[in-house]
Amino acid sequence: MRLLMVEDEHDIQAFLQQALSEAGYSVDVAPDGRAAEALAKANTYDILIVDLGLPDQDGITLITRLRQMGVLAPVLILSARRSVDDRVRGLEQGGDDYLTKPFALAELLARLRNLLKRNAPQGSELTRLRVQDLELDLLRREAIRSGQVLQLTPQEFVLLEYLCRNAGRVVTRSMILDKVWGMRIQPDTNVVDVHIYRLRGKVDSNGQTPLIRTLRGVGYVLQDR
Amino acid sequence: MWATLAFTFGTLVVFIFLDRFVANDIQRRSDAWLSGEVEVLGDVAERTPNDALYGRVVGEVAELASREVPEKGASQQPENDSVFFIQTARDGSLKLWVGAGDGQSHLQAIQASQLAASRPVSIHVRGYAVPFRVASDSMGDGGRVYLGLSERDQRRVILNLRIRFFVLWLSIVLLGFAIVFFTSRRTLSHVRNITEAASHIGESDLKLRVPTSSRNDEISQLGDTLNRMLDRIENSVNQLHTITGSLAHDLRSPLTAIRGKLETSLASHDADHAEPIVSAIEELDRLTDFLNKSLDVAEAKADALRLHPTNIDMDELLRSTIDLYEPSMNDRGIRLRLHSAAPVHIVADEGLIHRMVANLFDNELKHLPSGCSVDIYLQSQEGEAKLIVRDNGPGFDAEVREHLFTKAVKGRRSSGHGLGLAFVDAVVRAHAGKVSADNLSSGGARILVSLPMAAHEADRMPTAHAS
Repeated sequence: MRLLMVEDEHDIQAFLQQALSEAGYSVDVAPDGRAAEALAKANTYDILIVDLGLPDQDGITLITRLRQMGVLAPVLILSARRSVDDRVRGLEQGGDDYLTKPFALAELLARLRNLLKRNAPQGSELTRLRVQDLELDLLRREAIRSGQVLQLTPQEFVLLEYLCRNAGRVVTRSMILDKVWGMRIQPDTNVVDVHIYRLRGKVDSNGQTPLIRTLRGVGYVLQDR
Repeated sequence: MWATLAFTFGTLVVFIFLDRFVANDIQRRSDAWLSGEVEVLGDVAERTPNDALYGRVVGEVAELASREVPEKGASQQPENDSVFFIQTARDGSLKLWVGAGDGQSHLQAIQASQLAASRPVSIHVRGYAVPFRVASDSMGDGGRVYLGLSERDQRRVILNLRIRFFVLWLSIVLLGFAIVFFTSRRTLSHVRNITEAASHIGESDLKLRVPTSSRNDEISQLGDTLNRMLDRIENSVNQLHTITGSLAHDLRSPLTAIRGKLETSLASHDADHAEPIVSAIEELDRLTDFLNKSLDVAEAKADALRLHPTNIDMDELLRSTIDLYEPSMNDRGIRLRLHSAAPVHIVADEGLIHRMVANLFDNELKHLPSGCSVDIYLQSQEGEAKLIVRDNGPGFDAEVREHLFTKAVKGRRSSGHGLGLAFVDAVVRAHAGKVSADNLSSGGARILVSLPMAAHEADRMPTAHAS
């Protein structure tokens, strides 16, 4: 996967490049808009990361220009501003995504994967999900582990389905809130954790291999191996 | 108002004084004429032979006398009864009479009053409503002459004068009232305009200014002063924006870098050494959260939240929020109940309303002791969506309640940074709503949030029920 990162801060460049390389991306770095345009003209990228606060131009202007140049790859926007302005929302609806600084690396990687998946051709609609010995029947809204039907509330089923669809990948609390409850909030309290504990109590009961793992400071992962 | 009353009474006193002065002056003038004339007539009576001519001479004089008084009404009457002349003999019997009637009643009245002084006095004569002013003089033969002038004309003059004074006074007072009424109404309407304009400022736009007029009066000076003040406020708010904006950027970039480095180093450490790194990341996230909330509250307080309004069903929003919070509440032994019968639509920024409601729930979750319950009520009332969050816990601390929404406060038992309710207040205000909090007499706290409902919601509701 070729990735173009447009970011002027050296510190952020450095660790992002390292983390993204470790995650399997081949990363090109552009420190400003002009360099980004030159690189985008010379190469074809699968995905872009664009910081809004660039030294020579506004990130939105750059994205608009890249789109005019025929760059179709999805863009993950990084913003230091909390209140997201209309133009970013517009881009978000057009298939791109944004992340405010500071962010968890896991969240960045998860969102990149989501963007790539969105762009990838969709396979046939799944009716069953299978992760190790856990099986989800999406039509009957039923979860079965080791032949035992789990007694889940509808909300717990949605949460488990989301974890299964992202099996083996980290999902953060804010991603869970966004995708499962449709809320972009940062609760002061551990409401998401309580849901996960309850779900874990039902999924990983009586001495079975724990499926749901907590990554402190990052989020959760449903282990697929 | 008081000034107008004082003005009314002041002019009344001035007019009464003028009236007295004019009346006295007329009296004095007629008295002086009477005294002079009676002397002349006495002389004439002594020297003129007592023949037919005598009567005519005195008649002429009497005629003249009646002309002395302006506004004379006697000319319309066939007989001039406003003036009389009496000459008496030594024994006091009537020697000569000029005037209307036979003069007997006049003489009787004069004799009854024992008129002696040369100064004129008022004498009531039977048959006449108005007294006569009578002057007398003694003659060489021991008799006396009397000249009488009816006070009727004099009174009429004074009455006319009084009527004019009264009309004048009334019109001055009415004019005064009218002027005061219209000028104060005009002034007040200016003030009202300024008040109205000032109340819109900040709600929507700090760029608005109060109306000013070109006139250089106190009101326009007030407007100018307010506008100068608004200039300064706008500058301060703009500075705040610049500062928060750059603060956000300046802090976020290093935070991002630090967090990223910690996370990458986490991957290269084994689990035993990971613990301090993980707790550093968690501390960093708390710091970020605090920074975000502080900036939100600061921006909201400065009316600088950017709103992206959409139609939201509060009923649905509350249900999904309760879904999210219920397990946590149950874990802490808190019961959560929703009392909402129908969808209540508002037009608001969904993200902000989500966070506002989440803050209310977080607040309950953090402060309520185990075994308590929270009741959420949602109603539509008079074009407003009313959200009531009621609990049966210990209620708000007295010292905290005072400024629950105004700044970052937290009770003694509180964890967190106390920005939650300040943020609730800021968001509700940004949506032209109201929020209040009180302690219930039955124990427990209540927070009431009212937000304006979506337009023409009232029309839509019944059809929504019918379908």
